Amino acid sequence: MRKPDGKIVLLGDMNVGKTSLLQRYMERRFPDTVSTVGGAFYLKQWRSYNISIWDTAGREQFHGLGSMYCRGAAAVILTYDVNHAQSLLELEDRFLGLTDTASADCLFAIVGNKVDLSEEGPGDGGQDGGHGPGPAGVGAAPRLPKQVQPEDAVALYKKILKYKMLDEKDVPAAEQMCFETSAKTGHNVDLLFETLFDMVVPVILRQRAQGPPQTVDIAPCGPPARTRSGCCA
Amino acid sequence: MDGFIRSRSRPAAAMMSTKAFTLVPAVEREQLMGDRERVSLECVECCGRNLYLGTSDCFVYHFLLEEKTLPTGTATFTATRQLHRHLGFKKAVNELRAASALSRLLVLCDGCISLVHMLSLEPVPSGARIKGAAAFALNENPVSGDPFCVEVCIISVKRRTIQVFLVYEDRVQIVREVSTPEQPLAVAVDGHFLCLALSTQYIILNYSTGASQDLFPYCSEEKRPIVKRIGRQEFLLAGPGGLGMFATVAGISQRAPVHWSENVIGAAVCFPYVIALDDEFITVHSMLDQQQKQTLPFKEGHILQDFEGRVIVATNKGVYILVPRPLEEQVQGLLASHRVEEALVLAKGARRNIPKEKFQVMYRRVLQQAGFIQFAQLQFLEAKELFRSGQLDVRELISLYPFLLPTSSSFTRSHPPLHEYADLNQLTQGDQEKVTRCKRFLMSYLNEVRSTEMANGYKEDVDTALLKLYAEADHDSLLDLLVTENFCLLTDSAAWLEKHKKYFALGLLYHYNKQDAAAVQLWVNIVNGDVQDATRSDLYEYVVDFLTYSLDPDLVWTYADWVLQKSQEVGVQVFTKRPLDDQQGSFNPDDIITCLKKYPRALVKYLEHLVMDRRLQREEYHTHLAMLYLDEVLQQKPGANATGAAVTETRAKLRHLLQKSDSYRVHFLLDRIRGAGLPMESAILHGKLEQHEDALRILVHELADFPAAEDYCLWRSEGRDPPYRQRLFHLLLALYLGPGPSSTELTVAAVDLLNRHAAEFDAAQVLQLLPGSWSVQLLCPFLTGAVRDSIHARRTTQVAVGLAKSENLIYKYDKMKLKGSSVRLSDKKLCQLCQTPFSEPAFVRFPNGGLVHTHCAASRHTNPRSPSPGART
Repeated sequence: MRKPDGKIVLLGDMNVGKTSLLQRYMERRFPDTVSTVGGAFYLKQWRSYNISIWDTAGREQFHGLGSMYCRGAAAVILTYDVNHAQSLLELEDRFLGLTDTASADCLFAIVGNKVDLSEEGPGDGGQDGGHGPGPAGVGAAPRLPKQVQPEDAVALYKKILKYKMLDEKDVPAAEQMCFETSAKTGHNVDLLFETLFDMVVPVILRQRAQGPPQTVDIAPCGPPARTRSGCCA
Repeated sequence: MDGFIRSRSRPAAAMMSTKAFTLVPAVEREQLMGDRERVSLECVECCGRNLYLGTSDCFVYHFLLEEKTLPTGTATFTATRQLHRHLGFKKAVNELRAASALSRLLVLCDGCISLVHMLSLEPVPSGARIKGAAAFALNENPVSGDPFCVEVCIISVKRRTIQVFLVYEDRVQIVREVSTPEQPLAVAVDGHFLCLALSTQYIILNYSTGASQDLFPYCSEEKRPIVKRIGRQEFLLAGPGGLGMFATVAGISQRAPVHWSENVIGAAVCFPYVIALDDEFITVHSMLDQQQKQTLPFKEGHILQDFEGRVIVATNKGVYILVPRPLEEQVQGLLASHRVEEALVLAKGARRNIPKEKFQVMYRRVLQQAGFIQFAQLQFLEAKELFRSGQLDVRELISLYPFLLPTSSSFTRSHPPLHEYADLNQLTQGDQEKVTRCKRFLMSYLNEVRSTEMANGYKEDVDTALLKLYAEADHDSLLDLLVTENFCLLTDSAAWLEKHKKYFALGLLYHYNKQDAAAVQLWVNIVNGDVQDATRSDLYEYVVDFLTYSLDPDLVWTYADWVLQKSQEVGVQVFTKRPLDDQQGSFNPDDIITCLKKYPRALVKYLEHLVMDRRLQREEYHTHLAMLYLDEVLQQKPGANATGAAVTETRAKLRHLLQKSDSYRVHFLLDRIRGAGLPMESAILHGKLEQHEDALRILVHELADFPAAEDYCLWRSEGRDPPYRQRLFHLLLALYLGPGPSSTELTVAAVDLLNRHAAEFDAAQVLQLLPGSWSVQLLCPFLTGAVRDSIHARRTTQVAVGLAKSENLIYKYDKMKLKGSSVRLSDKKLCQLCQTPFSEPAFVRFPNGGLVHTHCAASRHTNPRSPSPGART
């Protein structure tokens, strides 16, 4: 079995679409999924690195496993459902604590899934879309007003930084790390994973480099003396 | 009866048809406890052939296991009872562990681990034991390198305490005691790492450093924990929701969990499977894909353990062995139910359990079989990848298609067969659309494969099959295949191409097989319409081209008449376009000319080729060509007015030839031309004979073509000296001014000639010729030019005279200088060369003043080595 070089963990309440996101990305399809039991993972080759992506179970029953899955993770994808405000709150209440075991420079991405179900296009602001024109007729599901706005995710991201006592200057900007996706249509799914892979590679390299020498000697080592060749004239 | 239910009812889905294990009884109840109803089996240990059982009534039984394989391939076990021994307590035997290196059996009973001999079951004389143990585990990855001790880790009866012991043959030694945050309930150990089930969570504890790592919480009140070492630094744990969780000593999970039932009792590992036991079933999951692979009904089981790869399951009363089915059989079973992915994963997983060579053979075969399964489902992409990685002998695939393999092919399908299909028709059940798709796939596959090493050794079979496919499908690549390097077998391919009326391609095949005659004959037949093949509309040109570059002269001669009959102009290319070095040997121009006698237009082309392109100077060719031109011109002459353009063209060619060539027989032509009314041509011929007056007369008097006359003068004087040219121009002028009825045109022509070519005339002569009546005005340009020339000539001459005079003066001066001084000879003057005095009055003086004897001066010229007196000062 190939040893993964880095780990990314998907966390989030049950039924927000973690497994679907992963399947959309890895298998390019959107099958009906059943509630994940325990966890599952994929190995993704990204450039020369093997990145394992763990899909976790959102059910309360398996909550205790989260810490172990997150141990040493290079990135955590916190997933919520844009149509369920509670799912965003759960991230902070239940899931953020699980990430304590992740790597110190772990990256966080906040992903609002299922945008295909809401009325507004992705990225649109405004709360008053509820009584707009009727269902725009994608499938049979009537479109509902989006319950979670991107700003809410950004706010959560900033909270996480505070919780982790990270300086905003040292980490990727919130706008870069908050995504709205649809596993059903594939909207932003590749962007999400591939943005993250690209960010995770330096983390992997840093973790590798952090072997014995923890500090880098930056003392000037003097200009290289130009030695004249000793050839007789 | 015992708990082993032989019912066929299977709860699991049809997906789980893998038969990874068979359950075989090992020790029956009667062998163990006879009719003592209340006694039950408490623990099992198996070490090599030794099987130990501990009972609830404090007995230890020793059996020897013997494995037999029935002719049907299934294994059976017989257990022969050896000694048994009562341990002297009223308690049950809790655990048994063999330490074969020490020949000791560790027996946990009544909170105490005692050491007994493995065979006699006698306690060690020293009475060494470990007291206060609730449970214990052997370290299979021991830290100490001592082979004569085992490391034992116990859960102490002391609260929240783990102790580590070294156990020798007849003594024990405690090495460490660690306390745990909660009461431990189960333990497994690997190196320094303890994996512990505490009352609310699982942890990893490094007993050397004391560092601990939480794994995950669980509830010990709801279920019994399971902690099972499955390999180096990795454990299997019973998690929430019936999960079998994997965890490494670093506290991370590297495999996805397997999903057991909630009430799982025990777990064991037999790579690549994880086996679990609950009240009713034994379940088998694969560690490779986490899928459940098999379910065996098994009631009242309460022990499941693996011992060095042997999995034993027991009820209270009986012992059974889970015998792994041979891997091949499992894989074949999966393949038979078309579960390709699983079969591949399983086969690949065996890599570390089987010797490399054997594995590769096995795995390759599985890949090939899987490829055929995908192929049969028309999953061509997957099939291709599998065939490629399985290094399939492509003939296996080709042989599925009827008639594709050459009749001469020695191929026979591998045995046992890689698939169940006789041929493509059976596979597709006659669905023509599917057949077409399969053929298209084979085309692309063979095309990819033919240049790789996969085709090595049977390139003939591959290329012939590809040719047949292309021909049948009317595919463009057929021609590409035949014109590039290929290994198509001639007889087989020829028959096939003929059958599919691919005659042009067949010709290419003949050509590739060095049978050009057959190829050309075939193509000729197509052009003639004897056989039908519309592959090339320009086949005639193709044949001409082919013959042009053919190295076989006989072939060219054979078909020369045919190509020329088709088209003289195109046909003659077989001679004219032939590479030059090729034209020497068998293509003698005389032979060709003989051959072309019947084809005048071709002959003209050929002679033009010889004369113009190859610049051969043989008189015959030039004369012949000129004659042919002339004939044509003469032939067309009567209708000259009607087809003016054509006449002009041929005449232009004729004139061009007459002017440029010096090799034809001028007199001969002149005779032919005489009276034919071709004055211009006559003029050229006269010109060639230097009969300028005749030539010019024709031009001036017959044709009155004055520009042509002027051009004639220029043409004929090309490369000659100026007087020659002057002579020609004077000749022309004389003609213009000559006696006879002078006409205005001639006068004008004369004036123009003089004015235009003033420099070509001697003005003095001209002036004498001119009639006195002409005005100066008329000849102004000529006269101006002439006067200028004359003045210029005079002045240049004057300059030359002046220069010559001054040069003369310089020489005179030098002469005077040299004569100016006298030389006095005396006894003191020595010859500069021989350094002796002068004895006679004659001497030589060098321009620098040096004096030498005359004979010395003479010898100096003959002896270059003597010092040059001029160099001395």
